[in-house]
Amino acid sequence: MSSLQIPIEHSTLKNGLRVIIAPDATAPVVTVGVYYKIGFRLEPQGRSGFAHLFEHMMFQGSENAPKMQHIKLINSSGGVLNGSTMYDVTNYYEAVPSNGLERVLWLEADRMRALKVDDENLRNQRDVVKEEVRVNVLNQPYGGFPWLDMPPVAFRNWANAHNFYGDFHDLDAANLADVQTFFKTYYVPNNAVLLMLGDVTPKDGFAFAEKYFGSIPAGAAPPFADPTEPPQSEERRGRVEEKFGTLPAMAVAYVMPARRTPDWYAMALLDQALHGGRAGRAHRELVLEKQIAVEAEGGIDDIFGYNGPAQMTTRILHKPEYSDVATLAAFDAILREVQQNGIPEDELQHLKVKWRSDYYSTLEGGRGGYMPRYGLMHLLACFTLFDNDPSLVNTILDGFLAVKREDIQRVAKKYLVPENRAIVFRAPVNSGVKEAA
Amino acid sequence: MASRAPEFSPAVPALTAERAVTWPKRTRARLANGLEVVLAEAHSIPKFHGELYFRAGNALVSDRSTGLAEMTATLVRTGTAKRTSRQIEEDLRRLGADLGSSSGQDTSAIGFAGLSEFSEPLLQLVNELAREASFPDNEFERERRQKLEEVKLERTSPGFLASERLRKILYGAHPYALVSPSEAQVAAYKRDDLQTVYREIYTPENALLMLVGDFDPQTMLKTIEKTFGTWSGRKPAPKEFPAPPKLQGRRVYLVHNPGSVQTQILIGCHAITRKHPDWIKLGLTNSLYGGAFNSRLVMNIREDKGYTYSPRSSVHPLRQHGYFSVSAAVRNDVVAASLTEIFYEIDKLRSVPVPDTELADAQNYLTGVFSMGLATQEGLLSQFSTVELNELPADYLETYRDKVRAVASADLMAAARKYFDSANMQIVVVGDRAQIEEQAALFGNPEIFDNQGNRLAS
Repeated sequence: MSSLQIPIEHSTLKNGLRVIIAPDATAPVVTVGVYYKIGFRLEPQGRSGFAHLFEHMMFQGSENAPKMQHIKLINSSGGVLNGSTMYDVTNYYEAVPSNGLERVLWLEADRMRALKVDDENLRNQRDVVKEEVRVNVLNQPYGGFPWLDMPPVAFRNWANAHNFYGDFHDLDAANLADVQTFFKTYYVPNNAVLLMLGDVTPKDGFAFAEKYFGSIPAGAAPPFADPTEPPQSEERRGRVEEKFGTLPAMAVAYVMPARRTPDWYAMALLDQALHGGRAGRAHRELVLEKQIAVEAEGGIDDIFGYNGPAQMTTRILHKPEYSDVATLAAFDAILREVQQNGIPEDELQHLKVKWRSDYYSTLEGGRGGYMPRYGLMHLLACFTLFDNDPSLVNTILDGFLAVKREDIQRVAKKYLVPENRAIVFRAPVNSGVKEAA
Repeated sequence: MASRAPEFSPAVPALTAERAVTWPKRTRARLANGLEVVLAEAHSIPKFHGELYFRAGNALVSDRSTGLAEMTATLVRTGTAKRTSRQIEEDLRRLGADLGSSSGQDTSAIGFAGLSEFSEPLLQLVNELAREASFPDNEFERERRQKLEEVKLERTSPGFLASERLRKILYGAHPYALVSPSEAQVAAYKRDDLQTVYREIYTPENALLMLVGDFDPQTMLKTIEKTFGTWSGRKPAPKEFPAPPKLQGRRVYLVHNPGSVQTQILIGCHAITRKHPDWIKLGLTNSLYGGAFNSRLVMNIREDKGYTYSPRSSVHPLRQHGYFSVSAAVRNDVVAASLTEIFYEIDKLRSVPVPDTELADAQNYLTGVFSMGLATQEGLLSQFSTVELNELPADYLETYRDKVRAVASADLMAAARKYFDSANMQIVVVGDRAQIEEQAALFGNPEIFDNQGNRLAS
């Protein structure tokens, strides 16, 4: 078996900023990422959607780079940039020809040091975010299904259960004081990791990190709300109206075991058995063989990238002639089969080959075709912020490859139970053809 | 590089010396049966990525039905003389591989990626799909039912409704007008028709096999000869298609999508293909107008006015006739205001020279982003594919950056005047009629359609 080892070096600045460098000079391109350990899960109550709105504000201006210049500075250096808000982290990243590395670091340091935004910037980005919510959720068939529909049904702790994109009245209530408070609380160097991947030597990279970030003062250790869920004792169900789509849909989700436990590794492979493409049991049974569903996909979303309660979710769009009850019964039969008989040894071996192959692609993979090493960056950042061990990127594969048949059957029996699951039904208002008003 | 001190804070570090951009060497071959082969090494991970392309797609067979080549591609992975649908999927998993088969207007493809250690069995499977697909009856019936649900569902997506309408307007009787079949067309698909398409299009003389990844090219070439060498088949005869209509004047089309809480704007006009000598000039003009985050359109209607989240302009290089388009999903009450700004930025590029500093920024952007593909197997495969499928010069990648840097401000204005055809731009808006008709009518008397494609009374 070939094994891929990524060379990595890491260090911590005096202000607590962790710095990770993964050198590879094959192409004259470098990817830079800054990850902050705060996502939408732990944003302030009464301010749903704020972590994401704040991410937009980080592009609106800092002490020495006013509005419009962040984007201009990167694009005009031949690079691309973006940011994204996730459950437990928010990232900002750039990929540039390597002669622009220092420029990117200067910019990231400038906005870590001091955000400089005004009311007009906030009004503008609030409008942009509302259009983002409309284009991705409110004006799309099955928009937000199930990632926004599931949390309020499945969870009881506000941290896990609220609307992560934000209720519009909460977005409207957000003010500049909220922006600066959030910035001062969470956007401190000791709550962040800086990553450089690609065409950079560790020597240069660490020197640049010190030069641009070294003088940013550390902040107080940020307070984090407790995301623990109270115990669940029965299955939870909810219904949501589908305004545009023509097919009935359901999402079935099970809460995952804690990260990096033996059960977690086994659940990951069980997830592959169920959701691994057209060979996955859910697709094979419901779409290809029984032909109840048009779509039966899902899994554990971003398995390395969360640090609190998470679920394995199956999303099913089924034909109208099959009822919710019949569809769910067919799905349950798939799970029962694994609980009663486990999976054959050869299937497990094949799942491991596919897992290894997918893992390599994750490490190499870009985002949107133009952001090299996004996957490696994301894993290194999460392993650093959640586990304080970036070298997990080179060892974590072993945990998945060590899973045994009995582990799969055990976790299927232990976790795929009603008191660990939630179901959201998304029912179309119309069955298809609409007449003009 | 020009210094831009006045634009940025003096604290901004200068760009250092650029490292050379070197594209990996390509190994080329043509087998005796006509199959073209292009191979390139990339050792980033112990995997390889490939495409088996066929130089024909839905357009070639559009006189029979819409989307026939796409449906054929869907069926290609559902059974061969030696393997059932289920075996194919399980074999892919066993090899750690992913595979997709699809068909566009001009090209059909089997795309795949897998572990280098299993390259032989994966190529063997691809070979079987290309030569021995058996189109099982039950698989055909299931995929047709599935497709029926898909074509119903896509009519609920504003983006689909907008592009469907624009393509009809721009291409008229040319097959590029048809992006998706109707329910009736799907219901009338016949298994025999798909097999006929398969026999015509999936031949070695019509094919190009490209592989990028962790392998030795000479060894790989031997494997390819062994695997694909005995395949035979001629390329299909080319067909003449009706010319797209000449469009005179701005016209407005409103697709009524009841209950929409936002309006999808899509405007477009005819442009050029990648082979055209103006392609790079137009690409740069588009990038500066609305093709990058830092572009004029994004800065105007997103960063200044907050009308939309993701405005963008694009040049679409279909093989025979390209087009230019601008899209934005905007708040219902700013449809007219957004169109005004979209046209303002177009007209400005047609009438006011682009300052040299802005030109240099756009050149840096386009040349820089071009290099990003070097870092991944998939990125390399995509760049090499563009060159081969469009039959561009062999040194296209190597000379691209210099050609972008040679574009002058006057070229941008000339390209905008020629290809951002403001006076004859076709305007499509998809949204709730009651909320947007009055605004749309400010740009011309709208023709109105429902979301099933039927014309409604104005």
